[in-house]
Amino acid sequence: MKLSLSWIKDYVKIPEDMDLKKLAYDLTMSTVEVEDVEYLARRFDKMVVGVIEKVEPHPNADKLRVCQVDVGEGESKTIVCGGINLKEGMRVAVSCPGALVRWHGEGEPVVIKNSKLRGVESYGMICASDEIGLSELFPASEEAEILDLSDFDVPAGTPLAKALDMDDVLLEIDNKSMTNRPDLWGHYGIAREIAALYDLPLEEIKPFETEVQSDFRVEIEDPDRCGRYIGVEMSGVEVKPSPYRMRNRIWKAGMRPINALVDITNYVMLATGNPTHAFDADNITDHIVVRHAAEGEKLVLLNDHELTLCADDLVITDSEGPVALAGVMGGAKDSILPKTKRVILEVANFESTGVRRTALRYDTRTEASSRYEKAVDPERCDQALALSMKYFGELYPELQVTGFCDRYVKKPERAKIDVSLTWLAKRLGKELSDETIKHKLELLGFDVQIEGDQMSVTAPTWRSTGDISIKDDVMEEVARLYGYDNFEATSFTTSFEGAINQKDQDLIRRVKEYLAFRCGMQEVYTYSWMNDTFVNAVLGSTEGVLRLSTPPAPDLSYIRSSLLPNLCEAVSKNERYFNDFSVFEEAEVFFDRNYTSPYDETESLPEQRRHLGGALASSVKDITRLFRETKGVLESMPRYTHMEGFTFRKEEKPVWADQVVWLNVFRGEEKVGDMGLLAKKVSMDCGIKNLSVMLFELDMTKLVPLKSRTNKFTHLAEYPETDYDISMLFGSDTAWNDIYEAIMGQKKASALVKEAYFVDEYRGRQIPEGKKSVTIRLTIGSEEKTLTSQEIENAANQVMKKLGKKLGAELRMQ
Amino acid sequence: MRDKIESILSEVKTKIDAAVSESKLQSVKSAFVGKQGALSLLMKEMPKLDPALRPEMGKLLNEAKNQVTKLIEEKRTELKLKASEVSPDFDCSVPGILPEKGGLHPITQMCYDLNDAFRSMGFEIFQEDDITSELYAFDKLNFPQNHPARESMDTYWLAGHDSGSTNEKLCLRPHLTGGSVRYMQTHKPPYRFVYPGRVYRNETTDAHHERAFFQYEALIVDKDITFTSGKVMINSILSKVFGTDVPVRMRSGFFPFVEPGFEIDMQCQVCGGKGCSVCKHVGWIEVMPGGSPHPNVLRAAGLDPDEYTGFYVNIGLDRLVMMRYGVDDVRLFHSADLRFLRQFR
Repeated sequence: MKLSLSWIKDYVKIPEDMDLKKLAYDLTMSTVEVEDVEYLARRFDKMVVGVIEKVEPHPNADKLRVCQVDVGEGESKTIVCGGINLKEGMRVAVSCPGALVRWHGEGEPVVIKNSKLRGVESYGMICASDEIGLSELFPASEEAEILDLSDFDVPAGTPLAKALDMDDVLLEIDNKSMTNRPDLWGHYGIAREIAALYDLPLEEIKPFETEVQSDFRVEIEDPDRCGRYIGVEMSGVEVKPSPYRMRNRIWKAGMRPINALVDITNYVMLATGNPTHAFDADNITDHIVVRHAAEGEKLVLLNDHELTLCADDLVITDSEGPVALAGVMGGAKDSILPKTKRVILEVANFESTGVRRTALRYDTRTEASSRYEKAVDPERCDQALALSMKYFGELYPELQVTGFCDRYVKKPERAKIDVSLTWLAKRLGKELSDETIKHKLELLGFDVQIEGDQMSVTAPTWRSTGDISIKDDVMEEVARLYGYDNFEATSFTTSFEGAINQKDQDLIRRVKEYLAFRCGMQEVYTYSWMNDTFVNAVLGSTEGVLRLSTPPAPDLSYIRSSLLPNLCEAVSKNERYFNDFSVFEEAEVFFDRNYTSPYDETESLPEQRRHLGGALASSVKDITRLFRETKGVLESMPRYTHMEGFTFRKEEKPVWADQVVWLNVFRGEEKVGDMGLLAKKVSMDCGIKNLSVMLFELDMTKLVPLKSRTNKFTHLAEYPETDYDISMLFGSDTAWNDIYEAIMGQKKASALVKEAYFVDEYRGRQIPEGKKSVTIRLTIGSEEKTLTSQEIENAANQVMKKLGKKLGAELRMQ
Repeated sequence: MRDKIESILSEVKTKIDAAVSESKLQSVKSAFVGKQGALSLLMKEMPKLDPALRPEMGKLLNEAKNQVTKLIEEKRTELKLKASEVSPDFDCSVPGILPEKGGLHPITQMCYDLNDAFRSMGFEIFQEDDITSELYAFDKLNFPQNHPARESMDTYWLAGHDSGSTNEKLCLRPHLTGGSVRYMQTHKPPYRFVYPGRVYRNETTDAHHERAFFQYEALIVDKDITFTSGKVMINSILSKVFGTDVPVRMRSGFFPFVEPGFEIDMQCQVCGGKGCSVCKHVGWIEVMPGGSPHPNVLRAAGLDPDEYTGFYVNIGLDRLVMMRYGVDDVRLFHSADLRFLRQFR
């Protein structure tokens, strides 16, 4: 909302020397956010009113004229201009060198300089209204029409800002910051707030009174939707421009002046915050009835949209049907027309949520509806009526009021609240005197009575439409008027019942830090919705996957039941820049099943779980390497993150996985996740070109953090241990698990072998078909003595013999 | 002979001092104590000497030989300790080899920084599900039916769950505060917890607007809390994040679930409050809403608002991270673009 300071000053006497920065700051701190304070005159810097003394043709250009212009600097100036309406004696707006204008009202502003135009030296520029940002205030009827200021009786050289009453300050207020304050939606409301903040006198708007008696009447059928409707029937009016002062203010407030009849209604709304409307009285048949629309009833609005109404809509009607959509917009047929001679003025109060429903239903948010839907106080109609009648009287000396009806069917009740002063002091964290509290509230229009500890507060009507309803609201009023800056920070004291111990939270953090810092993976965030392409490629089916009813895009409607589709998308996006990388994400996934809620028995929420997903992608590592790295990440995770351990086996192939390279991950007997190579087909469907991708996904909710660290201490070996590598040929399909079992299982091959490690395996040259060579590192040692090299060799031989016997392994011939 | 020995000794000492490498030292050694070395040659002249002098000269000569050998060994050790194991043209300006390239998301980092600060003040970390019902998204937070604020948070409703009564209508949570009510319902006061999480708004995205973003809610509820205690909480957060004490102001603001409500601004860290394009020339930047939980919200959580009150702030993590690093496009956070994320390792 834009407010003119000079307009506000009509209602509250702001001292001339008040610092406007301070005013904006105080309003921001206590009431509403002032987003901008604009000194309007700055827009018209170095612009003056000039009087054209002579207009001559340009020697070198048909469309240009050479003008002699008096700009109040003694000697007249030569200005070259292409305007089509230039006349001698005409007053014009001259931008002198240094002024900022927009060429033909478009593009960035440019600085005016002395320049030669087709060989003629020109001082500044004679402006069209759009070139100085005034096209809405002074609409040009044709292109290249110069702004004619002949109506402004000021001498040449008068600063344009002064001549056009632009010596003003505009306050721009964030509308969001006052959705809860319907009373502030207008210059008078802000003036009243400023009066309260600084304890300044507020101008009263004298009520309108009339003795007129006539048949004119108004009926209201639903008092809950329309609490008050004032109709004033008048003659002696006509469509003409409104006075400049009114147009100027309407323009400053961000609206467009139209004609005097419409301008009065808009001006009154901008002043009081109460929308008003004028009908052409000659088009209204019989009296006015405010009623619900009949289902299917039609109404053509001022913007020419034809609506088919429903029974929830409130309409203003005459005996022929609807003439306006109550609180939203007038009808095309019966509002102000070029030939209007008699009007009916509407000053009314409509209930907020009804207006809002109707405005939303027809997607027609207007200045009026946006004010009514905040809940306007019906007493404000008196101010709107009084101001309207003041301006009708001023603009139309012939005016006659021929009918008047104030149908006030639902009077507002002022909110009454009892507040304990002890409670107030406790919540404020500061003891304010009774007088201070009373004074601050009275400044805001509250009636206050204090008896002992009890304060009884009655809110003014303009704060009683829902804004002030409980004692906490009263506390806020006192605190903000006293000034939030004036309350010192106080420490909060709470008892500690023990150290925070949240194993689940710790586990999530440790897992993330493990993956990032030990495994070199990068954490990513992706959206909770998935792209159809990746859903189809990775998940295959969408059974049990939840969808959004209005998704961000048609192909983003599924919300994730797995983290892998989005991780595959992340891999494909990063393939352009990287050929070896790994990413992970920890986030919530959703399933269309098991509806329940632990919080409210009537609530039913779908199954939601936290998952951890990872992708290791490379075009430079071979698949064995990538597989082992991925498995290593999962194998070491429980140890490093202090949770119960994993085992790996094949039970159920994930749909996205390669036929061979995959494993299920178990904690005890419970499956907690999968890992595997992204199948070639899936990878291609994901648009991944050259990368091999290993994926894993774990259900974090199934992982169990250890209560404490479980590392075991063993005494350091007293006698040295030796590493001893052996290489043997095995059948190509022999599993490492079986080799390890043969060496280290229940019946150990040799008691001296402490551990056996996989070093590497090799197939190919020098290795017979159907065989592979496996290199195993044995750690050999004894608790009793230092072993001789013979004893070490014997232990290794026992292992080799056992492997030969059990698994058919042969020594590899070098 | 004595003179000869002396002159040889002094010559040897000079040469040893001058030797700069192992090989030079070796040649000194062979020139003096080797088989054809000067001292060995002198030894061969022994038989020509007066027998009476022989023992003394022999002793001198042996001592000289030992002395030279000792000097050479000392010099050799010295040279070894001084010498590099690599050639002198080793280039120390070549870049280091980076450890594995991994890292946490910058929003996770911010979240953990805040978690650390709040845990040190005895706050618990709370986590809740992303899908909620309208009952908890709006009803329990004092949003009246048909209130414009319900609409201001354009919500992603779930297909097949987007009509009916409010406990049946399901959505991706538009804010975290409904979850806080769940916490309060299931725990005993006093409360002190933080609640980080992703929230969703159905709106058009641009550099400053996202459909999914992160909030960080902190809530204290106790018997004697005033809104002025909130200042302490806010100062703790910002000084933790920005590393210095950041001037903060609380001003009037409206949110249905708090009373009184505040907009909390911090001094612009780019211009130090003087005014710049980042803060739109006001010197302050809006960082979080806050306030005391509305009595109706406390009631929804089963508490007596006459007995309990509290203070709440809701921090936009994305915005805070953007300010910390000068990131100018909020959409980068969900881009999974490693070129962006790797800047925050």
